Amino acid sequence: MTERFPLSRRDFIASAGAAALTSAIAAPALAQSANKPLKIGMVTSLSGPFTALGESMRAGMQMFLAENGGKLAGRAVELIVEDDQAKPDEGVRKFRKLLGQDNVDIVSGVISSAVALAVRDVVTEAKALTFISAGSANDLARKAASPFVFRPTKTNWMLGHTAGLWAYEKLGKTGCMTIGADYAAGREYIGDFVATYQQQGGKVGKQLWAPLGTTDFGPLLTTIAAEKPEFIYSFFAGSDAVRFLRQMREYRLSGKVKLIGGGALFDQEDVVSAVKEAALGGLNTCNQSPTAPSSAAFTKAYQAARNVMPGEMGTAGYVTGQVIKAAVERVQGDLSNKEKVKEALLAREVETVFGPMPFDPRNNQAILDIYVNEIKEGAGGVPVNQVIHTYKAVRDPGPVA
Amino acid sequence: MSSIADGTGRVETRPASQRRSLPVTAKLALLALATAVPLLFAGDYQLRFLAEILIIGTAVLSLDLLVGFGGLVSLGHAVFFGGAAYAAAIASQALGADIVVMLAVGIVTGMVAALLMGIVVMRTIALFFLILSLIVGQIVWEVVFHWREVTGGADGLRGFPVLTLHTGFATIPLNNGVALYLASVVLALAAYLAARSFVTAPIGRALLGTRERQLRMSALGYSIPRIRLMALVASGAIAGAAGALYPFVNQYVGPNAVHWTMSAMMIIMLVIGGVGSLYGAFIGSAIYLGIQTYVSSYTDRWQLVVGLVFVLTVMIMPKGVVAGLKAAFGRRKDAERRS
Repeated sequence: MTERFPLSRRDFIASAGAAALTSAIAAPALAQSANKPLKIGMVTSLSGPFTALGESMRAGMQMFLAENGGKLAGRAVELIVEDDQAKPDEGVRKFRKLLGQDNVDIVSGVISSAVALAVRDVVTEAKALTFISAGSANDLARKAASPFVFRPTKTNWMLGHTAGLWAYEKLGKTGCMTIGADYAAGREYIGDFVATYQQQGGKVGKQLWAPLGTTDFGPLLTTIAAEKPEFIYSFFAGSDAVRFLRQMREYRLSGKVKLIGGGALFDQEDVVSAVKEAALGGLNTCNQSPTAPSSAAFTKAYQAARNVMPGEMGTAGYVTGQVIKAAVERVQGDLSNKEKVKEALLAREVETVFGPMPFDPRNNQAILDIYVNEIKEGAGGVPVNQVIHTYKAVRDPGPVA
Repeated sequence: MSSIADGTGRVETRPASQRRSLPVTAKLALLALATAVPLLFAGDYQLRFLAEILIIGTAVLSLDLLVGFGGLVSLGHAVFFGGAAYAAAIASQALGADIVVMLAVGIVTGMVAALLMGIVVMRTIALFFLILSLIVGQIVWEVVFHWREVTGGADGLRGFPVLTLHTGFATIPLNNGVALYLASVVLALAAYLAARSFVTAPIGRALLGTRERQLRMSALGYSIPRIRLMALVASGAIAGAAGALYPFVNQYVGPNAVHWTMSAMMIIMLVIGGVGSLYGAFIGSAIYLGIQTYVSSYTDRWQLVVGLVFVLTVMIMPKGVVAGLKAAFGRRKDAERRS
């Protein structure tokens, strides 16, 4: 790589020199940019409700860069990580700092969808190459899609929709209840699940909502016990998921009522490793699985480094690195022409730990394999997300034409 | 700042002219210089950051009217600020984002919000005032958080037009660092002058009176709830003006802007900058946002630094950082004057 590099650069300078005066002026700048370090900014949540997730994401990205010797396409990489506290206002401030003060070449990260939506106009205005690692509100791939914002992650629809298909086919045509966290993401997951499930012909019973940060699910769980549903579709994340699963067990509902949810409900690192047996038997649809074939090497490495199996966020940090690497290498480290970078990235799929990842040219949204995971006992009796089915190449409906 | 609470319950008030040695023209020149320096050296990002400091500082300034002069510690102040921010962002979609219209919308929203909150809280003080303002604030937050069709819910609002200034000849878009910075300098200055004239006016003196000698004020025939209500409305107007510009710095407004933690942040800024000093609001806002933005690049535990600064301020510089530093460097004019 380092051998090939100066050659192509010299060729380029030669051709540019032969061309108009303006490009001759631009050429030295280009030649210089190849030797300059590649600055990657990452905004993630290192304080606030998503702290653990943000630390995993950062660790995933750092792992990836360490494995590559801190270099991409021959350019040394400088990673600048900023904390958004999961607050949109703060996220915007940090994106502006990275772009305006640190002059990064690429911005990435973001866990909270609200932050991803808030920074959309900032990065669009700045025409910054942006890689959203996790923010997954449907609008990000629809109304708020943007020419230089790439989304190597799922949308909520992709998970809710596939869960609807699976539930109708395997769990039952009736006797469905839903319980979800009462905020934007929860409403989307549950809404998309219900839409698909009903479209298939399924019947949905009672729908319950719990505010974000609910500590006592008792009243809702007694309702579930009284209704005796066949299965429940649920969306909670982080500590809400941990408390919900533990209390399901305490109310002796786990095992009796089949539970299927969004990936976050049974996130391997964040939730399953905390609740252990209380997760057993649970189902989820997720774009990530520690037992997916594409994740085998990464799962091992992550476990060795962090002493826990990777969940979605750790993997997302790593995958973001993989996608950035593909983009940077396909243009030989020269990011000056963003249209070319985009063209190169969209041209063919990227092999990632999530699985093969082509991008949808309409909205730069990744088209992903969605795994149906079941929590089973793995080696040493540790509950693990085991892939029991894969929906190939799930594509978000995207912006309506 | 012609009135300074000295922490013992006594208040020293004297006309500004007696305490200031610099002539007005020199002050204006200094001010113009201070405004111009960032324009020469700061980039777009830094100017926007300064604009944000000034806008949030203006909101903190309005809180100082209540805390520093009325003894009314409010945990619902974000409602005036954030409510106006939402009102401006929503109105801009229908009316366009002319700065004069936005300021009017913000000021009216802030005043109406303050009036409504005032009706609930004006008869209380101290803990009850704190709790009631917190509750009113959280009701507003709940509404904002759940009314997705209008406020965007948890995702907030974006994609509204950029701020513009209509002059007689042309419409100037205020969407770059320089323009936003200059607009917020004007806002901050106007707010400072308005707040200063409020506290030196009879109503300001009466407000101090309600804090210091409630019983005597009642005996003299003043209606304490009415005075508090007027202070709240004045404070709401200033906070509303600041809130009106806030969405346009980042072209975004979210439910955080009305959350009680925003009110708490303003109180922390106020204490760091100096309660009852008015100008301290801007100092506190600069210190807090500076720590939050720059220290957090080096450590995940930046909140610890904010906490330490806060505790140290309260312990060794209870009148705020500027007054504290002045005292530390031997300029003890204030102290001498008191003794």
